[in-house]
Amino acid sequence: MHLSNSILTWIAAILTIGIFSFLWKDNPFYKFCEHLFVGVSVGYSISLTWYNAVYPDLFNPLFLQPFSAVSLGRKLLLVIPLILGLCYFCRFIPKVSWLIRFPMAFVLGWASGVAIPAYFQTNILKQMQGTFLTPGIFARWDVLLWAIISFIGVICSVFYFFFSKEHKGALKVASETGIVFLMVGFGASFGYTVMARMSLLIGRFQFILGDWLGVIK
Amino acid sequence: MKFFQYLLKIDRRIIYIVMGILVMLPLIKPLGLGVTSGPRATALFDAIDALPAGKTILISVDFDPSSMPELYPMLAGVMRHAFAKDLKVLLCGLWVTGVGLADKAVTEIPPEYGKKYGEDVVYLGWKAGVDAVILGMGENIKNVFPADYQGHPLDSLPMMREIQRLRDIPIAFAISAGTPGYQDWLLFAQSRYGMKVGAGLTAVSAADAYPYLQSGQLTGLLAGMKGGAEYEVMVQKKGYSRAYMPAVAAMDSQSLAHVVIMILVIVGNIAYFATRKRGA
Repeated sequence: MHLSNSILTWIAAILTIGIFSFLWKDNPFYKFCEHLFVGVSVGYSISLTWYNAVYPDLFNPLFLQPFSAVSLGRKLLLVIPLILGLCYFCRFIPKVSWLIRFPMAFVLGWASGVAIPAYFQTNILKQMQGTFLTPGIFARWDVLLWAIISFIGVICSVFYFFFSKEHKGALKVASETGIVFLMVGFGASFGYTVMARMSLLIGRFQFILGDWLGVIK
Repeated sequence: MKFFQYLLKIDRRIIYIVMGILVMLPLIKPLGLGVTSGPRATALFDAIDALPAGKTILISVDFDPSSMPELYPMLAGVMRHAFAKDLKVLLCGLWVTGVGLADKAVTEIPPEYGKKYGEDVVYLGWKAGVDAVILGMGENIKNVFPADYQGHPLDSLPMMREIQRLRDIPIAFAISAGTPGYQDWLLFAQSRYGMKVGAGLTAVSAADAYPYLQSGQLTGLLAGMKGGAEYEVMVQKKGYSRAYMPAVAAMDSQSLAHVVIMILVIVGNIAYFATRKRGA
Protein backbone atom coordinates (compact mmCIF):
# COMPACT_ATOMS: atom_id res chain seq x y z
CA MET A 1 0.00 0.00 0.00
CA HIS A 2 1.39 3.35 -1.05
CA LEU A 3 -0.86 6.30 -0.30
CA SER A 4 -0.76 9.14 -2.79
CA ASN A 5 1.01 12.29 -1.67
CA SER A 6 -0.77 14.45 -4.23
CA ILE A 7 -3.33 16.84 -2.77
CA LEU A 8 -5.31 16.75 -6.04
CA THR A 9 -5.61 12.96 -5.89
CA TRP A 10 -6.83 13.22 -2.29
CA ILE A 11 -9.45 15.82 -3.25
CA ALA A 12 -10.61 13.67 -6.18
CA ALA A 13 -10.80 10.58 -3.96
CA ILE A 14 -12.78 12.36 -1.24
CA LEU A 15 -15.19 13.78 -3.83
CA THR A 16 -15.59 10.29 -5.37
CA ILE A 17 -16.51 8.89 -1.96
CA GLY A 18 -18.87 11.82 -1.50
CA ILE A 19 -20.71 10.96 -4.72
CA PHE A 20 -20.81 7.25 -3.79
CA SER A 21 -22.32 8.15 -0.40
CA PHE A 22 -25.60 8.73 -2.24
CA LEU A 23 -25.88 4.96 -2.62
CA TRP A 24 -26.38 4.76 1.13
CA LYS A 25 -28.76 7.70 1.27
CA ASP A 26 -29.04 11.33 0.23
CA ASN A 27 -26.85 13.53 2.43
CA PRO A 28 -25.33 17.04 2.55
CA PHE A 29 -21.86 15.80 1.56
CA TYR A 30 -23.29 14.26 -1.61
CA LYS A 31 -25.22 17.46 -2.33
CA PHE A 32 -22.01 19.47 -1.95
CA CYS A 33 -20.11 17.18 -4.34
CA GLU A 34 -22.97 17.21 -6.85
CA HIS A 35 -23.23 21.01 -6.91
CA LEU A 36 -19.47 21.35 -7.08
CA PHE A 37 -19.39 18.99 -10.06
CA VAL A 38 -22.09 20.93 -11.91
CA GLY A 39 -20.40 24.26 -11.22
CA VAL A 40 -16.94 23.08 -12.17
CA SER A 41 -18.22 21.40 -15.35
CA VAL A 42 -19.95 24.56 -16.52
CA GLY A 43 -17.01 26.77 -15.60
CA TYR A 44 -14.58 24.39 -17.31
CA SER A 45 -16.68 24.34 -20.50
CA ILE A 46 -17.04 28.13 -20.56
CA SER A 47 -13.34 28.77 -20.07
CA LEU A 48 -12.37 26.19 -22.70
CA THR A 49 -14.87 27.63 -25.16
CA TRP A 50 -13.51 31.12 -24.56
CA TYR A 51 -9.84 30.18 -24.94
CA ASN A 52 -10.33 27.71 -27.83
CA ALA A 53 -12.96 29.47 -29.93
CA VAL A 54 -14.24 32.91 -28.90
CA TYR A 55 -10.90 34.52 -28.06
CA PRO A 56 -8.72 33.23 -30.94
CA ASP A 57 -11.41 33.26 -33.64
CA LEU A 58 -13.42 36.37 -32.76
CA PHE A 59 -12.26 38.59 -29.91
CA ASN A 60 -8.56 38.68 -30.70
CA PRO A 61 -8.78 39.33 -34.47
CA LEU A 62 -11.69 41.75 -34.16
CA PHE A 63 -10.65 43.90 -31.19
CA LEU A 64 -6.98 43.28 -30.36
CA GLN A 65 -5.14 42.71 -33.62
CA PRO A 66 -4.26 45.82 -35.66
CA PHE A 67 -5.46 46.43 -39.23
CA SER A 68 -1.99 45.50 -40.46
CA ALA A 69 -2.58 41.94 -39.21
CA VAL A 70 -6.30 41.60 -39.93
CA SER A 71 -7.82 43.38 -42.90
CA LEU A 72 -10.86 45.67 -42.61
CA GLY A 73 -12.88 43.27 -44.75
CA ARG A 74 -12.16 40.35 -42.41
CA LYS A 75 -12.95 42.48 -39.36
CA LEU A 76 -16.30 43.48 -40.89
CA LEU A 77 -16.98 39.82 -41.67
CA LEU A 78 -16.35 38.94 -38.02
CA VAL A 79 -18.94 41.51 -36.92
CA ILE A 80 -21.70 39.26 -38.37
CA PRO A 81 -21.10 36.28 -36.03
CA LEU A 82 -20.55 38.73 -33.17
CA ILE A 83 -23.99 40.30 -33.71
CA LEU A 84 -25.64 36.90 -34.24
CA GLY A 85 -24.00 35.61 -31.07
CA LEU A 86 -25.08 38.64 -29.04
CA CYS A 87 -28.65 38.15 -30.28
CA TYR A 88 -28.77 34.93 -28.24
CA PHE A 89 -28.43 37.02 -25.07
CA CYS A 90 -31.51 39.06 -26.05
CA ARG A 91 -33.48 36.13 -24.69
CA PHE A 92 -32.92 37.64 -21.24
CA ILE A 93 -34.39 41.05 -22.21
CA PRO A 94 -38.15 40.66 -22.81
CA LYS A 95 -38.48 43.78 -25.00
CA VAL A 96 -35.98 42.53 -27.58
CA SER A 97 -36.23 38.79 -26.98
CA TRP A 98 -37.59 38.35 -30.53
CA LEU A 99 -34.09 39.08 -31.85
CA ILE A 100 -33.07 35.52 -30.93
CA ARG A 101 -34.98 34.39 -34.02
CA PHE A 102 -32.20 35.67 -36.29
CA PRO A 103 -29.35 33.47 -35.02
CA MET A 104 -31.72 30.53 -34.64
CA ALA A 105 -32.95 30.96 -38.20
CA PHE A 106 -29.36 31.16 -39.39
CA VAL A 107 -28.31 28.03 -37.51
CA LEU A 108 -31.40 26.06 -38.54
CA GLY A 109 -31.05 27.08 -42.16
CA TRP A 110 -27.35 26.27 -42.28
CA ALA A 111 -27.68 22.98 -40.43
CA SER A 112 -30.65 21.81 -42.49
CA GLY A 113 -29.00 22.69 -45.77
CA VAL A 114 -25.77 20.98 -44.87
CA ALA A 115 -27.09 18.00 -42.96
CA ILE A 116 -30.21 16.87 -44.86
CA PRO A 117 -28.45 15.57 -48.02
CA ALA A 118 -25.69 13.96 -45.94
CA TYR A 119 -28.21 12.48 -43.52
CA PHE A 120 -30.27 11.09 -46.39
CA GLN A 121 -27.19 9.51 -47.92
CA THR A 122 -25.79 8.08 -44.68
CA ASN A 123 -28.84 7.09 -42.69
CA ILE A 124 -31.39 6.24 -45.36
CA LEU A 125 -29.85 5.24 -48.69
CA LYS A 126 -26.82 3.42 -47.28
CA GLN A 127 -28.91 1.83 -44.55
CA MET A 128 -31.57 0.63 -47.00
CA GLN A 129 -28.81 -0.84 -49.09
CA GLY A 130 -27.17 -2.35 -46.01
CA THR A 131 -30.42 -3.98 -44.90
CA PHE A 132 -29.83 -6.74 -47.38
CA LEU A 133 -26.92 -5.99 -49.65
CA THR A 134 -24.09 -6.20 -47.16
CA PRO A 135 -20.49 -6.38 -48.34
CA GLY A 136 -19.69 -9.94 -49.34
CA ILE A 137 -23.24 -11.14 -48.77
CA PHE A 138 -22.86 -14.30 -50.84
CA ALA A 139 -19.30 -15.01 -49.77
CA ARG A 140 -20.28 -17.12 -46.77
CA TRP A 141 -23.50 -18.86 -45.78
CA ASP A 142 -23.53 -17.32 -42.29
CA VAL A 143 -23.26 -13.77 -43.70
CA LEU A 144 -26.16 -14.54 -46.03
CA LEU A 145 -28.19 -15.96 -43.14
CA TRP A 146 -27.60 -12.87 -40.97
CA ALA A 147 -28.48 -10.61 -43.91
CA ILE A 148 -31.79 -12.45 -44.38
CA ILE A 149 -32.54 -12.24 -40.63
CA SER A 150 -31.74 -8.49 -40.66
CA PHE A 151 -33.98 -8.02 -43.67
CA ILE A 152 -36.89 -9.84 -42.01
CA GLY A 153 -36.26 -7.87 -38.79
CA VAL A 154 -36.34 -4.51 -40.56
CA ILE A 155 -39.49 -5.30 -42.54
CA CYS A 156 -41.36 -6.71 -39.53
CA SER A 157 -40.29 -3.86 -37.24
CA VAL A 158 -41.49 -1.33 -39.80
CA PHE A 159 -44.81 -3.19 -39.98
CA TYR A 160 -45.16 -2.84 -36.20
CA PHE A 161 -45.15 0.95 -36.69
CA PHE A 162 -47.63 0.79 -39.56
CA PHE A 163 -50.84 2.16 -38.09
CA SER A 164 -52.97 2.82 -41.19
CA LYS A 165 -54.48 -0.68 -41.13
CA GLU A 166 -55.62 -2.86 -38.25
CA HIS A 167 -53.05 -5.48 -37.32
CA LYS A 168 -54.89 -8.64 -38.36
CA GLY A 169 -53.90 -11.72 -40.34
CA ALA A 170 -50.52 -11.50 -42.06
CA LEU A 171 -50.00 -7.97 -40.77
CA LYS A 172 -50.45 -9.21 -37.20
CA VAL A 173 -47.89 -11.98 -37.71
CA ALA A 174 -45.44 -9.49 -39.19
CA SER A 175 -45.93 -6.87 -36.49
CA GLU A 176 -45.65 -9.45 -33.69
CA THR A 177 -42.49 -10.77 -35.25
CA GLY A 178 -41.35 -7.14 -35.30
CA ILE A 179 -41.95 -6.92 -31.54
CA VAL A 180 -39.60 -9.87 -31.02
CA PHE A 181 -36.87 -8.10 -32.98
CA LEU A 182 -37.50 -4.86 -31.08
CA MET A 183 -37.27 -6.68 -27.74
CA VAL A 184 -33.98 -8.26 -28.78
CA GLY A 185 -32.75 -4.77 -29.69
CA PHE A 186 -33.84 -3.33 -26.35
CA GLY A 187 -32.22 -6.25 -24.54
CA ALA A 188 -28.93 -5.66 -26.35
CA SER A 189 -29.09 -1.96 -25.47
CA PHE A 190 -29.82 -2.78 -21.82
CA GLY A 191 -26.94 -5.25 -21.68
CA TYR A 192 -24.57 -2.68 -23.11
CA THR A 193 -25.91 -0.07 -20.66
CA VAL A 194 -25.12 -2.38 -17.72
CA MET A 195 -21.61 -2.84 -19.10
CA ALA A 196 -21.18 0.94 -19.46
CA ARG A 197 -22.27 1.66 -15.89
CA MET A 198 -20.06 -1.10 -14.52
CA SER A 199 -17.14 0.27 -16.51
CA LEU A 200 -17.56 3.65 -14.85
CA LEU A 201 -17.69 2.01 -11.41
CA ILE A 202 -14.58 -0.02 -12.20
CA GLY A 203 -12.85 3.13 -13.43
CA ARG A 204 -13.50 4.84 -10.10
CA PHE A 205 -12.32 1.79 -8.15
CA GLN A 206 -9.17 1.67 -10.26
CA PHE A 207 -8.58 5.30 -9.30
CA ILE A 208 -9.28 4.73 -5.58
CA LEU A 209 -7.27 1.52 -5.31
CA GLY A 210 -4.49 2.57 -7.69
CA ASP A 211 -3.91 6.30 -7.81
CA TRP A 212 -5.07 7.03 -4.25
CA LEU A 213 -4.37 3.98 -2.07
CA GLY A 214 -1.64 2.46 -4.22
CA VAL A 215 -2.94 -1.07 -3.70
CA ILE A 216 -3.00 -1.91 -7.41
CA LYS A 217 -0.93 -0.76 -10.39
CA MET B 1 -42.81 -18.19 -0.64
CA LYS B 2 -41.56 -16.22 2.31
CA PHE B 3 -38.08 -16.56 0.88
CA PHE B 4 -39.18 -15.02 -2.43
CA GLN B 5 -40.94 -12.19 -0.63
CA TYR B 6 -37.76 -11.59 1.36
CA LEU B 7 -35.78 -11.49 -1.89
CA LEU B 8 -38.07 -8.84 -3.36
CA LYS B 9 -37.72 -6.68 -0.25
CA ILE B 10 -33.96 -7.02 0.06
CA ASP B 11 -32.32 -3.68 0.86
CA ARG B 12 -30.71 -2.23 -2.27
CA ARG B 13 -27.69 -1.20 -0.17
CA ILE B 14 -26.84 -4.86 0.44
CA ILE B 15 -26.76 -5.35 -3.34
CA TYR B 16 -24.50 -2.29 -3.72
CA ILE B 17 -22.09 -3.59 -1.07
CA VAL B 18 -21.95 -7.08 -2.63
CA MET B 19 -21.44 -5.56 -6.07
CA GLY B 20 -18.75 -3.21 -4.78
CA ILE B 21 -16.81 -6.04 -3.13
CA LEU B 22 -17.10 -8.26 -6.22
CA VAL B 23 -15.88 -5.47 -8.48
CA MET B 24 -13.02 -4.56 -6.16
CA LEU B 25 -11.64 -8.04 -5.43
CA PRO B 26 -10.56 -8.96 -9.00
CA LEU B 27 -8.80 -5.62 -9.29
CA ILE B 28 -6.65 -6.53 -6.26
CA LYS B 29 -6.34 -10.24 -7.08
CA PRO B 30 -6.97 -10.80 -10.82
CA LEU B 31 -8.78 -13.99 -11.79
CA GLY B 32 -7.09 -14.22 -15.20
CA LEU B 33 -10.29 -14.92 -17.14
CA GLY B 34 -8.70 -13.56 -20.31
CA VAL B 35 -9.98 -11.46 -23.19
CA THR B 36 -10.63 -12.66 -26.73
CA SER B 37 -10.86 -10.25 -29.62
CA GLY B 38 -14.09 -10.14 -31.59
CA PRO B 39 -14.51 -9.52 -35.33
CA ARG B 40 -15.50 -5.85 -34.91
CA ALA B 41 -12.35 -4.87 -33.02
CA THR B 42 -10.23 -7.08 -35.27
CA ALA B 43 -11.58 -5.32 -38.36
CA LEU B 44 -10.43 -1.96 -37.03
CA PHE B 45 -7.08 -3.35 -35.94
CA ASP B 46 -6.51 -4.94 -39.36
CA ALA B 47 -7.47 -1.73 -41.19
CA ILE B 48 -4.89 0.27 -39.24
CA ASP B 49 -2.33 -2.54 -39.35
CA ALA B 50 -2.56 -2.68 -43.15
CA LEU B 51 -1.55 0.97 -43.60
CA PRO B 52 1.98 1.48 -44.91
CA ALA B 53 4.48 3.28 -42.67
CA GLY B 54 4.38 7.06 -42.99
CA LYS B 55 0.61 7.29 -43.54
CA THR B 56 -1.52 9.32 -41.16
CA ILE B 57 -4.54 8.31 -39.11
CA LEU B 58 -6.97 10.85 -37.73
CA ILE B 59 -8.28 10.37 -34.19
CA SER B 60 -11.25 12.43 -33.11
CA VAL B 61 -11.40 12.68 -29.32
CA ASP B 62 -15.11 13.20 -28.71
CA PHE B 63 -15.50 12.36 -25.05
CA ASP B 64 -15.04 13.95 -21.66
CA PRO B 65 -13.60 12.74 -18.35
CA SER B 66 -16.85 11.04 -17.32
CA SER B 67 -16.32 8.44 -20.08
CA MET B 68 -12.59 8.12 -19.53
CA PRO B 69 -12.55 4.57 -18.07
CA GLU B 70 -14.28 3.24 -21.17
CA LEU B 71 -12.74 5.32 -23.92
CA TYR B 72 -9.25 6.41 -22.91
CA PRO B 73 -7.84 2.84 -23.22
CA MET B 74 -9.04 2.87 -26.86
CA LEU B 75 -7.28 6.16 -27.53
CA ALA B 76 -4.06 4.92 -25.93
CA GLY B 77 -4.30 1.53 -27.67
CA VAL B 78 -4.81 2.94 -31.16
CA MET B 79 -2.07 5.54 -30.69
CA ARG B 80 0.40 2.87 -29.51
CA HIS B 81 -0.55 0.67 -32.48
CA ALA B 82 -0.04 3.57 -34.89
CA PHE B 83 3.34 4.59 -33.48
CA ALA B 84 4.57 0.99 -33.42
CA LYS B 85 3.69 0.79 -37.13
CA ASP B 86 5.44 4.12 -37.83
CA LEU B 87 2.17 5.80 -38.71
CA LYS B 88 1.59 9.47 -38.00
CA VAL B 89 -1.28 10.52 -35.76
CA LEU B 90 -3.39 13.62 -36.18
CA LEU B 91 -5.80 14.35 -33.35
CA CYS B 92 -8.72 16.72 -33.10
CA GLY B 93 -11.92 16.89 -31.09
CA LEU B 94 -15.59 17.76 -31.39
CA TRP B 95 -16.09 17.93 -27.62
CA VAL B 96 -14.67 20.96 -25.87
CA THR B 97 -14.35 19.06 -22.58
CA GLY B 98 -12.17 16.46 -24.26
CA VAL B 99 -9.23 18.72 -25.04
CA GLY B 100 -7.41 17.90 -21.80
CA LEU B 101 -7.68 14.15 -22.41
CA ALA B 102 -6.30 14.37 -25.93
CA ASP B 103 -3.50 16.61 -24.68
CA LYS B 104 -2.68 14.05 -21.97
CA ALA B 105 -2.43 11.27 -24.58
CA VAL B 106 -0.29 13.42 -26.89
CA THR B 107 2.04 14.23 -23.97
CA GLU B 108 2.37 10.72 -22.54
CA ILE B 109 2.24 8.17 -25.40
CA PRO B 110 4.53 9.39 -28.24
CA PRO B 111 7.67 9.46 -26.01
CA GLU B 112 7.21 5.70 -25.34
CA TYR B 113 8.09 5.16 -29.03
CA GLY B 114 10.55 8.01 -29.41
CA LYS B 115 8.07 9.96 -31.52
CA LYS B 116 8.27 13.73 -31.76
CA TYR B 117 5.51 16.28 -31.65
CA GLY B 118 5.12 18.02 -35.01
CA GLU B 119 6.84 15.22 -36.93
CA ASP B 120 4.86 12.14 -35.88
CA VAL B 121 1.92 13.52 -33.99
CA VAL B 122 -0.08 16.76 -34.07
CA TYR B 123 -3.01 17.75 -31.91
CA LEU B 124 -5.27 20.32 -33.58
CA GLY B 125 -7.51 20.96 -30.58
CA TRP B 126 -11.19 21.78 -30.66
CA LYS B 127 -13.27 24.17 -32.75
CA ALA B 128 -16.94 25.02 -32.43
CA GLY B 129 -19.38 24.01 -35.19
CA VAL B 130 -19.26 20.26 -35.72
CA ASP B 131 -20.42 19.95 -39.34
CA ALA B 132 -18.63 23.14 -40.40
CA VAL B 133 -15.40 21.84 -38.83
CA ILE B 134 -15.50 18.48 -40.63
CA LEU B 135 -16.55 19.98 -43.96
CA GLY B 136 -13.87 22.65 -43.60
CA MET B 137 -11.24 20.00 -42.88
CA GLY B 138 -12.38 18.24 -46.02
CA GLU B 139 -11.48 21.34 -48.06
CA ASN B 140 -8.40 22.54 -46.19
CA ILE B 141 -7.43 21.67 -42.63
CA LYS B 142 -5.42 24.87 -42.24
CA ASN B 143 -8.49 27.01 -42.90
CA VAL B 144 -10.22 25.48 -39.88
CA PHE B 145 -7.16 25.06 -37.69
CA PRO B 146 -4.58 27.71 -38.65
CA ALA B 147 -2.65 26.68 -35.52
CA ASP B 148 -2.53 23.55 -33.38
CA TYR B 149 -3.69 23.23 -29.78
CA GLN B 150 -0.42 24.64 -28.49
CA GLY B 151 -0.58 27.63 -30.84
CA HIS B 152 2.06 26.53 -33.38
CA PRO B 153 1.08 27.57 -36.93
CA LEU B 154 0.36 24.38 -38.90
CA ASP B 155 2.77 25.46 -41.64
CA SER B 156 5.59 25.27 -39.10
CA LEU B 157 4.89 21.58 -38.33
CA PRO B 158 6.69 19.15 -40.70
CA MET B 159 3.96 16.52 -40.46
CA MET B 160 1.29 18.95 -41.69
CA ARG B 161 3.14 19.76 -44.92
CA GLU B 162 1.92 16.47 -46.42
CA ILE B 163 -1.59 16.71 -45.06
CA GLN B 164 -3.81 19.34 -46.63
CA ARG B 165 -7.30 17.88 -46.39
CA LEU B 166 -9.22 14.81 -45.22
CA ARG B 167 -8.61 12.98 -48.50
CA ASP B 168 -4.91 12.84 -47.53
CA ILE B 169 -5.80 10.73 -44.51
CA PRO B 170 -6.81 7.10 -45.18
CA ILE B 171 -8.80 6.46 -42.00
CA ALA B 172 -10.45 8.33 -39.15
CA PHE B 173 -11.06 6.78 -35.76
CA ALA B 174 -13.80 8.59 -33.86
CA ILE B 175 -13.90 7.91 -30.13
CA SER B 176 -17.34 9.09 -29.11
CA ALA B 177 -19.29 9.30 -25.88
CA GLY B 178 -22.38 10.63 -27.65
CA THR B 179 -23.23 13.50 -29.96
CA PRO B 180 -21.30 15.00 -31.71
CA GLY B 181 -19.27 11.95 -32.58
CA TYR B 182 -18.78 9.12 -35.05
CA GLN B 183 -22.12 9.80 -36.77
CA ASP B 184 -20.90 13.26 -37.80
CA TRP B 185 -17.75 11.74 -39.26
CA LEU B 186 -19.94 9.29 -41.19
CA LEU B 187 -22.31 12.07 -42.27
CA PHE B 188 -19.72 14.53 -43.51
CA ALA B 189 -16.29 12.90 -43.81
CA GLN B 190 -17.43 9.61 -45.29
CA SER B 191 -20.45 10.54 -47.37
CA ARG B 192 -18.74 13.56 -48.91
CA TYR B 193 -15.04 12.66 -48.94
CA GLY B 194 -15.25 8.86 -48.93
CA MET B 195 -13.13 8.57 -45.81
CA LYS B 196 -12.93 5.26 -43.95
CA VAL B 197 -14.30 5.65 -40.44
CA GLY B 198 -13.83 3.41 -37.42
CA ALA B 199 -15.55 4.04 -34.10
CA GLY B 200 -14.81 3.58 -30.44
CA LEU B 201 -17.95 4.05 -28.41
CA THR B 202 -19.26 3.91 -24.89
CA ALA B 203 -21.19 0.71 -24.37
CA VAL B 204 -24.43 2.68 -23.98
CA SER B 205 -24.30 3.86 -27.58
CA ALA B 206 -22.67 0.79 -29.12
CA ALA B 207 -25.91 -0.98 -30.04
CA ASP B 208 -26.91 2.00 -32.19
CA ALA B 209 -23.74 1.66 -34.26
CA TYR B 210 -24.29 -1.93 -35.40
CA PRO B 211 -26.41 -0.96 -38.45
CA TYR B 212 -23.48 1.15 -39.71
CA LEU B 213 -21.16 -1.77 -39.18
CA GLN B 214 -23.39 -4.20 -41.04
CA SER B 215 -23.77 -1.82 -43.98
CA GLY B 216 -20.00 -1.45 -44.21
CA GLN B 217 -20.05 2.26 -43.34
CA LEU B 218 -18.00 1.65 -40.22
CA THR B 219 -14.69 -0.08 -40.77
CA GLY B 220 -14.58 -1.44 -37.24
CA LEU B 221 -16.06 -0.89 -33.82
CA LEU B 222 -14.71 -0.89 -30.28
CA ALA B 223 -17.66 -1.15 -27.91
CA GLY B 224 -17.13 0.02 -24.35
CA MET B 225 -14.39 -1.13 -22.02
CA LYS B 226 -14.49 -4.59 -23.59
CA GLY B 227 -13.64 -3.05 -26.97
CA GLY B 228 -10.71 -1.21 -25.40
CA ALA B 229 -9.52 -4.45 -23.78
CA GLU B 230 -9.78 -6.32 -27.08
CA TYR B 231 -7.63 -3.71 -28.79
CA GLU B 232 -5.07 -3.68 -25.95
CA VAL B 233 -4.75 -7.48 -26.22
CA MET B 234 -4.22 -7.36 -30.01
CA VAL B 235 -1.61 -4.61 -29.69
CA GLN B 236 0.30 -6.61 -27.07
CA LYS B 237 -0.01 -9.92 -28.93
CA LYS B 238 1.64 -8.36 -31.98
CA GLY B 239 4.40 -7.04 -29.72
CA TYR B 240 3.58 -3.40 -30.38
CA SER B 241 3.35 -2.43 -26.71
CA ARG B 242 4.20 -3.64 -23.25
CA ALA B 243 2.38 -0.87 -21.46
CA TYR B 244 -0.05 -1.49 -18.61
CA MET B 245 -3.50 -2.46 -19.94
CA PRO B 246 -6.16 -0.77 -17.77
CA ALA B 247 -9.11 -2.12 -19.76
CA VAL B 248 -7.83 -5.70 -19.68
CA ALA B 249 -7.19 -5.35 -15.94
CA ALA B 250 -10.81 -4.32 -15.49
CA MET B 251 -12.37 -7.18 -17.44
CA ASP B 252 -12.35 -9.69 -14.56
CA SER B 253 -14.36 -7.25 -12.47
CA GLN B 254 -16.62 -6.59 -15.44
CA SER B 255 -17.27 -10.30 -16.01
CA LEU B 256 -17.94 -10.95 -12.32
CA ALA B 257 -20.33 -7.98 -12.13
CA HIS B 258 -22.20 -9.24 -15.19
CA VAL B 259 -22.59 -12.70 -13.69
CA VAL B 260 -24.00 -11.16 -10.50
CA ILE B 261 -26.43 -8.98 -12.47
CA MET B 262 -27.60 -11.95 -14.54
CA ILE B 263 -28.22 -13.93 -11.34
CA LEU B 264 -30.07 -10.98 -9.79
CA VAL B 265 -32.24 -10.52 -12.91
CA ILE B 266 -33.12 -14.23 -13.04
CA VAL B 267 -33.74 -14.57 -9.29
CA GLY B 268 -35.68 -11.29 -9.22
CA ASN B 269 -37.96 -12.46 -12.04
CA ILE B 270 -38.53 -15.87 -10.47
CA ALA B 271 -39.36 -14.22 -7.13
CA TYR B 272 -41.67 -11.73 -8.83
CA PHE B 273 -43.64 -14.35 -10.75
CA ALA B 274 -43.77 -16.71 -7.78
CA THR B 275 -45.21 -14.06 -5.47
CA ARG B 276 -47.54 -12.65 -8.16
CA LYS B 277 -49.03 -16.06 -8.87
CA ARG B 278 -49.69 -16.56 -5.19
CA GLY B 279 -51.25 -13.13 -4.85
CA ALA B 280 -53.53 -13.75 -7.83
